[in-house]
Amino acid sequence: MKNALRDRRERESMSQADLAAAVGVTRQTINAIERERYDPSLELAFELAAYFDCRIEDLFDAELDGNSRQSSRNGA
Amino acid sequence: MTPTETAATERLARGRTYRRLMFGSVLAGVAAGFALRYLDYPLLGEGVYWLGIVGFLAVWRGTSTTLFDERDVALERRASQLTLLLFAVVLVVGASAARLLPLFGSGTVPPAVRGALYGYAALFAAFGVVYVWLRASA
Repeated sequence: MKNALRDRRERESMSQADLAAAVGVTRQTINAIERERYDPSLELAFELAAYFDCRIEDLFDAELDGNSRQSSRNGA
Repeated sequence: MTPTETAATERLARGRTYRRLMFGSVLAGVAAGFALRYLDYPLLGEGVYWLGIVGFLAVWRGTSTTLFDERDVALERRASQLTLLLFAVVLVVGASAARLLPLFGSGTVPPAVRGALYGYAALFAAFGVVYVWLRASA
């Protein structure tokens, strides 16, 4: 999933290890999220958003395609 | 770093140390057990093997530190799925081959291979039971 985690982290002059420690995961997990190799759980996404004091949508872009958006609207 | 972040860093480092202890305990137990059996001390070897297993369990259950984060769990889940898939293919092809071999007079399946195939079948039966149980309780 596309995300602005690296931008946000670098803006705060934090290392991956610092951010990992702040939200209670390993540095490898933060690295994997930044490289779009791992999609965090909802809980971790909220944790990251809370840490940077922003909304989840400001950090993550789900890139839903047309069908997924339609399904979401229909509650499917 | 803030004091909270320092504490969190220490917690992660502690988790890493405990993980190494856990897997080190099993590895040491298995290796030492193997060596002792090889040197003709089978009972002592079995004792050391169990010591390694108990060491693993003691660290795993005895600490309040989080040993694995969510990505570790996700990786473990993915690895389990891939392993099951791999063995499903082996079972499907292997079972068919085991049935066909005698028909074509190409020999019989060794008992060890037949036993392994029954073992795989039992594994998938257990998976089915656990799946149904989880679905019912979710």
